[in-house]
Amino acid sequence: MDAIVLWLTSLFPQMAVPTARLIVHIVYAAILSFVAPVVLVVAFTYMERKVIARIQDRVGPNRAGPLGMLQGFADAIKMLTKEDITPAGADRIVYNLAPGLAVIGVVLVFAVLPVAPGVIGTDLSIGILYVVAVGGIGTMAVLMAGWSSNNKYALLSAFRVVAQLVAYEIPMVIAIIIVVLTAGSMRMGDIIAAQNVPFLFTLPVAFFIFFVANIAEIGRSPFDLLEAESEIIAGFHVEYSGMKFAFFFIGEYMHLFVSAGIATTLFLGGWRGPGASEASILGALLGFVYFLAKTVLLIFAMMWVRGTFPRFRIDHLLDFGWKFLVPVGLLTLVAVALVLKLPFLSSPVLQWVGLLVANVAVIVVALAAVSLAARRTRSVALRSVAGAER
Amino acid sequence: MNNPTIEKLKTQFPDAVQDVSEFRGDAVVTLSRETLLDAARFLRDDPDLQYNLLVDLTSVDRRDLGIEPRFATVYELYSIPKNHRVRLKVPLPWDDATEMPECPSVTEVWPAANWHEREAYDLMGIEFAGHPWLRRILMPDNWVGHPLRKDYPLGGEPVYFTADREDPRFAHLGRQTMEGPSYPSELPEGVDSETHLVINMGPQHPATHGVLRLAVELEGERIVSANPDIGYLHSGFEKTGENRRYEKFIPYTDRMDYLAGMNNNLAYVLTVEKLLGVEVPPRAQYIRVILAELQRIASHLFWLATHAHDVSGTIHSLLMYCLRERERILDIFEMFCGARLTTTGMSVGGLRRDIPGAFPDAVRAFVRDFRGYLKEYEAMLTDNPIWLSRLKGIGVLKADDAIALGVTGPMLRAAGISFDLRKAQPYSSYDHFDFDIPTATESDSYARYLVRLREMEQSLRIVEQAINRLPGGPVRTDDRKVAPPPREEIDRSMESLIHHFKLYTEGYKPPVGEVYGMAENPKGVLGFYLVSDGSAIPYRLRVRGPSFVNLQATNLLAQGHLLSDLVTLIGSIDIVLGEVDR
Amino acid sequence: MPIDYLPILVFFVVAGLFGVIALTVPALLGPHRPSSTKLETYESGKIPYGDAWRKVPVHYFKVSMLFILFDLEVIFFYPWAVLFRRLKLFGLIEMGVFILILLVGYIYVWKKGALEWE
Repeated sequence: MDAIVLWLTSLFPQMAVPTARLIVHIVYAAILSFVAPVVLVVAFTYMERKVIARIQDRVGPNRAGPLGMLQGFADAIKMLTKEDITPAGADRIVYNLAPGLAVIGVVLVFAVLPVAPGVIGTDLSIGILYVVAVGGIGTMAVLMAGWSSNNKYALLSAFRVVAQLVAYEIPMVIAIIIVVLTAGSMRMGDIIAAQNVPFLFTLPVAFFIFFVANIAEIGRSPFDLLEAESEIIAGFHVEYSGMKFAFFFIGEYMHLFVSAGIATTLFLGGWRGPGASEASILGALLGFVYFLAKTVLLIFAMMWVRGTFPRFRIDHLLDFGWKFLVPVGLLTLVAVALVLKLPFLSSPVLQWVGLLVANVAVIVVALAAVSLAARRTRSVALRSVAGAER
Repeated sequence: MNNPTIEKLKTQFPDAVQDVSEFRGDAVVTLSRETLLDAARFLRDDPDLQYNLLVDLTSVDRRDLGIEPRFATVYELYSIPKNHRVRLKVPLPWDDATEMPECPSVTEVWPAANWHEREAYDLMGIEFAGHPWLRRILMPDNWVGHPLRKDYPLGGEPVYFTADREDPRFAHLGRQTMEGPSYPSELPEGVDSETHLVINMGPQHPATHGVLRLAVELEGERIVSANPDIGYLHSGFEKTGENRRYEKFIPYTDRMDYLAGMNNNLAYVLTVEKLLGVEVPPRAQYIRVILAELQRIASHLFWLATHAHDVSGTIHSLLMYCLRERERILDIFEMFCGARLTTTGMSVGGLRRDIPGAFPDAVRAFVRDFRGYLKEYEAMLTDNPIWLSRLKGIGVLKADDAIALGVTGPMLRAAGISFDLRKAQPYSSYDHFDFDIPTATESDSYARYLVRLREMEQSLRIVEQAINRLPGGPVRTDDRKVAPPPREEIDRSMESLIHHFKLYTEGYKPPVGEVYGMAENPKGVLGFYLVSDGSAIPYRLRVRGPSFVNLQATNLLAQGHLLSDLVTLIGSIDIVLGEVDR
Repeated sequence: MPIDYLPILVFFVVAGLFGVIALTVPALLGPHRPSSTKLETYESGKIPYGDAWRKVPVHYFKVSMLFILFDLEVIFFYPWAVLFRRLKLFGLIEMGVFILILLVGYIYVWKKGALEWE
């Protein structure tokens, strides 16, 4: 990005550096907020349909265009030309504001997502904290939509959203802290730089917590209580139509991409890979490809989960967040902090091994605790997790 | 006649028993209206009788039979521990001064009577004194008249929709039924829509399996009450049946519980055969068993598919897997009769035609493959922690409550009662086969899930035995008054030609009498009550759908659970709205 | 540096622009034929019993209060985590004490049953 700024200033010598920088940022923001939604939504709805169809022994979309690839565009055109309805009982201002906010909240996260070497909106010193903070906007949008619709299903959905956020924000934050602790910085660039071995391999527990909490944050199956169509029909967006309805989907699929991207950055080494560097255009492109591949891999995993698991019930969901993920997260945090301070683990390799051992130890302790608890409680789910059911 | 029940009733209530009759093994006791409640209590509580299951409650308008008084209510009772049954008939004296004849309500003896009595009130116009909430159940609240009465006009009433209001072409139609804006339906007593959130779940809702409406009273997400409101799909096929020849009602039975067409066919043709007193050749009986058990598997598969889909919500893969296997069963049906869903696969007196040559191999191949698939489904769900947590302990229906509410089928067996008509009162040579009745004791949704899975295994066993021991011989009775002769015979015999002609122009005419036929459907006991006046058209045709009765338990099951559990519950009751709404 | 946050402002403005354009254009493109039935609140095709805006018992109220507390405390970890490598043993002990206090509170609310659904 700096390279482009440099190129601009040398092309137009009278242009000041800040102006050039601003232009670059505006163009980048425009790409991410005008092009990315369309491309991402079309690509990932298609991918999701095809993947789920495969899992379910179906074909999936195959009519619009070759292999049904234009299905997303067909849907987009349909959405664009649908009637825009605001129900009579709704709170008009909040009702119309919510879908916009759903998309803005996600686009703002893009600002700190390093998609390729050197390509990032702004590498904030508190990058990852910013992600957590801005992530709340999407939830806010859902809450607004649910409340303003004046529909009981939407209202129930809004409540569920809050409960879900409440239960999964803390484990997610703890997982991020573990990463920050190991990397020693909240800056995205530094976190990537710290991953000579991706954190997935040294901090698997943190990755698991982050991944699960992430699915819950996006509200995808098995945590899709907020739009559980067999219970509360479509939840918060039950009253929305046309483009406003589409906006929630744009928001959801962009959120899917962004959170998978953040997970990639935090645990899979971001754009890192053989040959990826900031030095050349080719290196940057290669880095972008690595980033995309890792992200799509994570998205695929989420789709796989979606096609396989039944849905949680709201109280089980809270239990799982509060009584399992939070204590396990805290335990991992302590274990990782201890390992990092152990004097005899001086070399990086030894430290990696130490972290891995600590994580495995946490898994063992957690499973032991669960089976101990399972013997004492009557919770069937807990018992079966621990294998005491059989 | 020495029926212990009747003897006991006679000694206990010497004045009340007005008449006793028996026809085709069905004992009917005519009781006076005043003693009905006492007799009902006696029948239920006497240790030798124990008529704990009210199979059916219905009513007959006897205007065209020329019997006074015009209306009578009919109670079909069954004792699960003693395995015997009896029918009570209560004539209702009525003068035209009162709007409706009155009958005491038996809801306090058998809570199952609740919806049956509402139905009789709705369709026949009988007032049940002491009923907790007597409202129309199938027809709209503002409907005029009682369709099952014999003086109700057939056809000719304009049907008027709001969309046609301004259309000049419909100006001649009345404006009585759909005029004005729609209004909120009345809520059952005790539902508090002020402090609690009352939500309409359905009729347009993805998880209510069609057009069931539940008025769900919520406190936060916890259910205070969930009251089913039915009738959106009411097609009045009892009335239709009373205006068709016996044989012509078979296609209608396909459309009741449209996931179990073969089972419905079987129950109906068995009842008509009982009325006619016809014997069916063994080969036909065996083929009927094969078809019915395959249909049971298909029905359970569809239940499993939709249940998993509802509970898991979005897109659980099991839906497609189950439907894939169901397709194979439907292929077998198509091979047999050309139809897949609405099969009309059986006819009175046997089967229309013999099975095609490839049929046994197709069935064997299915049985072989399906065993493996069943294990796969189990692997996906039975030990899945989320599945367990969503089903275990949800909607506990204890055996006593289940029987009191008339609940039958897998729901009752999951409560530990080993009641299955195929064993208790074997029909269509079910006693020739070796099979078990799966039961469970937990009586929750998970127990019902397990029972249905095991039932599929047992059905496979029955199908396997039947196909391997299939006897030869004809598939139709040689009673030419009931079943048409084979085509070749018509060319040779004048008598056959006459039989053939008479059958297709007039139909068969059963003797005067009434029978009640029951069979074990995938969802519970399916009952048919037929009253014959000696013509080729049934005088009264009553259907007891298991879904209809089982659905009554919804409120009891749902109380105290979360909104999410309601979906589990509706799934585990396993209803088909075609049968519920009739 | 505050200048680092400029791109975020740019993002906000541009994304807001996208929102406004993408929401107004289809609203003009699409048909517009409202009717009283169409604008009714959708509740499975029936007239709702009363308004949705009313007092509703929220079962997880206590949990959400706890969430605010825990979320605030967890945020304290961030500066510590960033500076952890520089803090030597003191940082470890200091945080150990903090986590201990946090844990005591956590176990307390768990035992009190505040994390239950009711």
